[in-house]
Amino acid sequence: MNALLAVLWKDLLTEWRSRDRAIAMLLFSMLMVVIFHFSLPGGATTATRAYAPGLLWVAYVFAALLGLGRSFAIELENDAIEGLARAPVDRGWVLLGKTIANLLILGFVQAVTACIFALVFEMNLMPIALELIGVVALGSLGLCSVGTFFAAVAVRTRLREVMLPLLALPFYTPVLIAAARATNSLFETGSVAFEPIQFLIVTDASYLIVSFILSDFVLDE
Amino acid sequence: MTAVVARELEKRFGSTVGLDRIDLEIPTGSTMAILGPNGAGKSTLLRLIAGLARPSSGSIEVGGKTAHHRTSRARVGFIGHATGLYPELTARENLFFAARLRSVSNAGARVEEQLAEAGLIRAADRRTGGFSRGMAQRLSIAVGLIDDPEIVLLDEPFTGLDRTASDRLVERLLGLRQKDRTLVLVSHDVTLAARLADAAVVLRRGRIVHRESGGDLDPSTLENAYTAASDRDVA
Repeated sequence: MNALLAVLWKDLLTEWRSRDRAIAMLLFSMLMVVIFHFSLPGGATTATRAYAPGLLWVAYVFAALLGLGRSFAIELENDAIEGLARAPVDRGWVLLGKTIANLLILGFVQAVTACIFALVFEMNLMPIALELIGVVALGSLGLCSVGTFFAAVAVRTRLREVMLPLLALPFYTPVLIAAARATNSLFETGSVAFEPIQFLIVTDASYLIVSFILSDFVLDE
Repeated sequence: MTAVVARELEKRFGSTVGLDRIDLEIPTGSTMAILGPNGAGKSTLLRLIAGLARPSSGSIEVGGKTAHHRTSRARVGFIGHATGLYPELTARENLFFAARLRSVSNAGARVEEQLAEAGLIRAADRRTGGFSRGMAQRLSIAVGLIDDPEIVLLDEPFTGLDRTASDRLVERLLGLRQKDRTLVLVSHDVTLAARLADAAVVLRRGRIVHRESGGDLDPSTLENAYTAASDRDVA
């Protein structure tokens, strides 16, 4: 647990000082929202709003991939990754600390993106804000758990920028389908469908457990 | 007591042999120098002892357990080529992070002690991204020793240090020897290795080609063995 907190503290402090990941992710997701707005016919209409959940998750997933790719790249500078690998704990705690840090950074980006999205598509998200936070948090936990794991795998490969999406996207697909369905039902009815949430909880738990167990191998040379 | 035991230790990187069936024992409290030309397998051996990599075959044990086990990793401090520092964090924060990661009790006091030992008290709150190579190396050594490990692995630790800092590091290593810590030193400096170590091996292409033990090492014998290993490599 000490290792988890130490990694979480270090990652958040490093990001607060450099802000390189959050700014890149934010610019990227905002750009996508703006492009969606101008590319969809008729701007903010009822018909285009029907696409909103999918569009929102497209922006989120690419922002996540951008940020996750950097999360282990910063460990390569000065070979700091060796210090993490040598920690006398189950390496799962190290990976979990990074997963939570990634989740918090992504959460910040998602919150700002959702505000811009609501503004651009003239949607009032306030009445469903709490439920939306819950759905996005569950979806993002799935993205970050498996994404952090594969970021650790990809970081030692030559084509790490390409490897992360290649490895992670197949595992992202079920999470994204469930998250988009849950967001869609929330936007349409104002309440969350139980089935996709149940699926997200099971998927998140599976990804977290498997990542924790396999973490001992991913930080090896 | 034996701190490190390697049996038929082999490490391959694809078709390249990093280490070729090495047998080695490092007694507790001794200082072992590992010498050899570039690509001889010195750093690979050190990384296997540190639990950073797994053997392709054979075994390596630290304190009776496989080197990769977390209890073995707790016994070992590693000071590598790279500093392992986070440039966005201050010297104090880098040390504090290492202390928390390695579950050091009384981390705050230990951090201050290490800052003083490294002569970095005045630079403690400066981000390490602006440190000179020598300062970063001193801090890196402090990070490696943060939990007062039983076994200290040093991979060319004198790289980038000026004479004063080198002398200070030598004093520090001698101090660790007096505390019965086991030191494993990878170096190209044969004279320094002979001065610090009480046993030495010379590696060439992943194999031990020369061994010496029993206390006072003869620099000229070591130098000859080192030169022979290097010459054969060039040839």
